[in-house]
Amino acid sequence: MIKNFIYLDHAAATPVDRRVFDVMLPYFSGLFYNPSSPYFPAVQVRRDYDNAKKTLANLIGGKQDEIIITAGATESINLVFNSVSGHVVVSNIEHHAVLNCAKKCPHTIVLVDGRGIIQVEVIAAAITPKTQLISVALANNELGTIQPVRDIAEIVKKERMDRLKNGNKMPIYLHVDASQGVGQLNVNVARLGADLLTLNSGKIYGPKQVGLLWAASFVKLNPQIIGGGQERGIRSGTENVAGVIGFAKALELAVDHQSFEQKRLATLRDYMQNNLIKAFPEAVISGSQKNRLAGHLHISFPGIDGERLLFILEDRGVLVATGSACAANKGTKSHVLEAISISDEIANGSIRITLGCLSNEKNTRQACKIIISELKKEYERLRK
Amino acid sequence: MAKTKVYVGMSGGVDSSLAASLLVEQGYDVTGVYMKNWSQDLPGMKCPWADDLADAKRVAVRLGIDFKVFDFEKGYKQKVVDYMIDEYKLGRTPNPDIMCNQEVKFKLFLDAALADGADMIATGHYAMVLNEKTEKLQSVSSERLRAAFDKGPGALSNSGCRCPEEAASNLSAGVLLRAVDDNKDQTYFLYRVTGKALTKTLFPIGEFTKPQVRKMAENRNLVTAAKKDSQGICFVGQVGIREFLSGYVDLKSGDIIDKKTGKVLGRHDGAIFYTLGQRHGLDVGGGLPYYVVGKDMAKNEVYVASDLNHDSLWLDNVDLAEVHWINDKPQVGDYQVRLRHRAPLVNAQLTFSGNDVKLKLADPQRVITPGQSVVIYDDQICLGGGIVI
Repeated sequence: MIKNFIYLDHAAATPVDRRVFDVMLPYFSGLFYNPSSPYFPAVQVRRDYDNAKKTLANLIGGKQDEIIITAGATESINLVFNSVSGHVVVSNIEHHAVLNCAKKCPHTIVLVDGRGIIQVEVIAAAITPKTQLISVALANNELGTIQPVRDIAEIVKKERMDRLKNGNKMPIYLHVDASQGVGQLNVNVARLGADLLTLNSGKIYGPKQVGLLWAASFVKLNPQIIGGGQERGIRSGTENVAGVIGFAKALELAVDHQSFEQKRLATLRDYMQNNLIKAFPEAVISGSQKNRLAGHLHISFPGIDGERLLFILEDRGVLVATGSACAANKGTKSHVLEAISISDEIANGSIRITLGCLSNEKNTRQACKIIISELKKEYERLRK
Repeated sequence: MAKTKVYVGMSGGVDSSLAASLLVEQGYDVTGVYMKNWSQDLPGMKCPWADDLADAKRVAVRLGIDFKVFDFEKGYKQKVVDYMIDEYKLGRTPNPDIMCNQEVKFKLFLDAALADGADMIATGHYAMVLNEKTEKLQSVSSERLRAAFDKGPGALSNSGCRCPEEAASNLSAGVLLRAVDDNKDQTYFLYRVTGKALTKTLFPIGEFTKPQVRKMAENRNLVTAAKKDSQGICFVGQVGIREFLSGYVDLKSGDIIDKKTGKVLGRHDGAIFYTLGQRHGLDVGGGLPYYVVGKDMAKNEVYVASDLNHDSLWLDNVDLAEVHWINDKPQVGDYQVRLRHRAPLVNAQLTFSGNDVKLKLADPQRVITPGQSVVIYDDQICLGGGIVI
């Protein structure tokens, strides 16, 4: 078994950054106190916890009391959908968490274009007087395509004004799932024009099972987990202090390094893409290449079985994804690839490469070489 | 000469992984096949077979062989799942694994593989087969067996009056033999397979013991080497049989009655859940353990006794219906029989009553359950068997 894998699946999970790990460590033992306890050491922990939440809020341009800490993006998304009863609009490339939640409400699922980008006009057309929520991902997890969130926010604002004029009391919110792309895109809530924002610590070199939902002060959330009243009663349960301290540090680092990391990853990704295309001119890149996360490459090799390629590469110490992990589990074409209407052959032959902090020039070059040589062998085997 | 093309059923477990690996080493042109069987759709849950499929594929990829997925969901549902539910409804205790081998692995899979260009199929069963491909099986050297194989079907019986056409088209029916590992031998599950299917079948691991198989898999760096053996009925998966059946049958609670006194001891939640000899899960109070000694499906009553030696738990005469012979009907005489998978072989005298088989066991045996299979052996050879009536 090869111990030193080259990891090309940062969209699935990221390693906890050493600096994040270090700030979390004291809260597991020395500073283990329940933040709700009255004695001084616990009060200290409460202060640290609140400060971490404040840091998180500041980094996205929100206020501390607008943030609910959750156990990750899926929970945040559930909280959003459990807080609405009206009609919801989502796109057909949203994460399963969003799609499955939406299906419990009156809903419209709008179709993205062939590049995997949501069309603003299509969203506008789907809004009815009863629409209460529009939920889109800032960037798609499979294709890495970046969505026109600000333009969608404009539509929502306009609708809100119209409703004010017409006396329609139904509120309308825009929820942005920014789990993917935080380290590469600006996630300032005002800039995005979001009313609700979901973030996931596990995707940005923080601990897993920590996330947040930011909700503008005028959004009313329904408590999802009932108990001792923590997180403003919306999400009870003793606070995940270490997790939140780590999350705050992770987000801080992500925002700090954003522009540098974006350029660095784009360079590595382009190197990978160019070399793969040069070696296999028939390869197909899926999703918009213009509006795409810097570390993302969704590429298909016609005739190849992507899952087989995944296992071959795993054997050679290179870890990639096929489509999205959830889709791979079902043995069917992913709903995202279905949405951009690519053929079965292209879908089956696709792998997703997502670069991140573990990627550097040396291992990217090495991975590229391995992928090319294994693909050549595989094409050779198929010819026989 | 072109290599023999073998399609090996790969379940993602260690046995079939090693089977595939050995076939590659033996120089066959091997294709791995994952058989997608029916599984209950549990909304919102990851499908239970995904990991097994991934493991099977991972091993195939490492071996550098082709890998395919054959979808038998429909056939499996009809032939195995529905059969099982129906049998339970009749108050019997069926064996879906036997049905799966008869109907899916050695029928649907065999046919699909041959249609796809295979010459033979292979599985990771602990069993051995004697056919024109399997050359030396040192552990079996009886002359009778050799003669049986050379003469083809009918050789194991004294009937000897087959029409020539049939003999010609059906030369050298395969002979099913017990595995070397007595503890693991799976011929009990294979007794309803046909001799014809066995001519096209290989069991690459039948001559090894389970510990050897694990060791060999480990030596070959197969990722499944340390994987736990699968337990229970595959398609029922994580939910228990009780929960599974309750989705298909109307459950009525009824009385649990003491067979001796006729006294009602407690209530049950559906007679179909109870199997002869069962001790646990009886909702009756008192210090003594009770055993199910019978049930009446029409009355929805379960009868129990606290006596482990209760007459209805011990039998020395067993009648079998739906009898299947792998090769040909054997002569009346003394044979060995297996009453359950992994149960020791016991001596029995075999006679016929029309199409049914009558067995007189040398010693009475405990808990012979209607619906279960009894498999008949002549030393190493698995002759066939039938279903207890």
